[in-house]
Amino acid sequence: MSKVGREIGLASLHDVWEVELQVPLLPRIANGETAAIDECLDRYGGLVWSLARRLSPSLSDAEDAVQEIFLDVWKNANRFREEVASEVTFVAMLARRRLVSRMRQSQRDVGAQPIDESTLQYASPPQPARLDITEEATQATACLERLKRDERQVLELSIYHGLPQSQIATRIGLPLGSVKSHARRGLSQLRDCMRLRSRVNQKREEQ
Amino acid sequence: MMSDHAPSDRERWEELETARLLFGLSVEEQLEHGQLSAAVSVDESLSLEQLVASLDVTWSGSESMPLPEHLRLAIRLRAEQELTYNRVRPATSGSMPSRPGWWAHRYLPWLVSAACLVFAVTRWNSDSSVRPVANLTEFRAEIISSAPDVQRADWTAGPTPISGATGDVVWSSQRQQGVMRFQGMPVNSPTQEQYQLWIFDKNQSDKTPVDGGVFDVTTEGEVLVLIDPKLKVQEAFLFAVTIEKPGGVVVSSRERLPLLANVN
Repeated sequence: MSKVGREIGLASLHDVWEVELQVPLLPRIANGETAAIDECLDRYGGLVWSLARRLSPSLSDAEDAVQEIFLDVWKNANRFREEVASEVTFVAMLARRRLVSRMRQSQRDVGAQPIDESTLQYASPPQPARLDITEEATQATACLERLKRDERQVLELSIYHGLPQSQIATRIGLPLGSVKSHARRGLSQLRDCMRLRSRVNQKREEQ
Repeated sequence: MMSDHAPSDRERWEELETARLLFGLSVEEQLEHGQLSAAVSVDESLSLEQLVASLDVTWSGSESMPLPEHLRLAIRLRAEQELTYNRVRPATSGSMPSRPGWWAHRYLPWLVSAACLVFAVTRWNSDSSVRPVANLTEFRAEIISSAPDVQRADWTAGPTPISGATGDVVWSSQRQQGVMRFQGMPVNSPTQEQYQLWIFDKNQSDKTPVDGGVFDVTTEGEVLVLIDPKLKVQEAFLFAVTIEKPGGVVVSSRERLPLLANVN
């Protein structure tokens, strides 16, 4: 498990993808081993495709994004270090960086949103299937539930639905500045809550 | 004098880091984030990003769908190109996707210069099809006269020819530079379709030619276009121009392939 992941108590969340204990593929990619490409697409294609569909304005945009993300994965494979983060986290980080950059670009291109976002309904993120829930996933869910309603909502609308700040403000009826501060506080409290629970668990294990 | 309510550097960094991860940053914010990141440890700077990535992984897990086959194929072809080109690239000591923070601060002056250079080159490249012919004519002549490995070939009709289109291509693999010359090519509408160059390399499969750049033709008179290879070309043997959707494609279906230039 990665050092930072251990600190924030989240690394085992990756068990929902059942990839935590698998041998990393990126070192093989970094060595130019083309045979690892298919394995990498088998392992992470679904995750990246899922993220891209969720955070892209159209299907064709999601298709372009997925190709760019995997290009980033190949180009950055030699930067992966297992002791810092798990491979699935590394891939998800690259995916989010690319998707956020594209979202920002597309918001610049289209200007104001032409549709009335306030009339749309945004469902809460799905919970991991019961059998897949790890202790840490349960902790993450518990920590999310401890956030104030507005903070949790801002995180769900931004992380899961990929909405820009202005649309979140319209959606939940908060000033733009409050959306920013809710996002920061929510994320920071979530991290602190996860750290605390992780330390408590570590102490229990040591006893 | 700073207000009592002004956020500390640490709070401001967290504010910017959150915005970076969730919404993206403006150029000014990126620079500020880079400067503030210098005072934040690598572990700390990664913690929020890892947290968000982990939520992404968790929330995507139960709604995963397999990658569509046509996308998988396109990604695979591009990966083979990338891995073949970079096979001898040494592993770096970097630990993660490079932090946009500390290096931006450390190399800020260089970054600004580089950004200006990139801006200039991008402008130069993006405008290459409408650039005064005299400049590219000189550049083309300079390649022919000074590149020891210069290759030159005339355009010939491809499977879907354009009547009356002529011209040639000049290329140096050593310099990774070249110029295409066209006469009688139809002017394209960039919002509907664009021309795209493909470079076939002897050291790579014919299925994965190198993307030589997307370009526009603005006049049916003489047009010179700078070649813009996206990967290193080791030994070019064939150049092909296709017509694609705006922005070009990663893998061409080759349905519209009007021009070919065989250098052997």
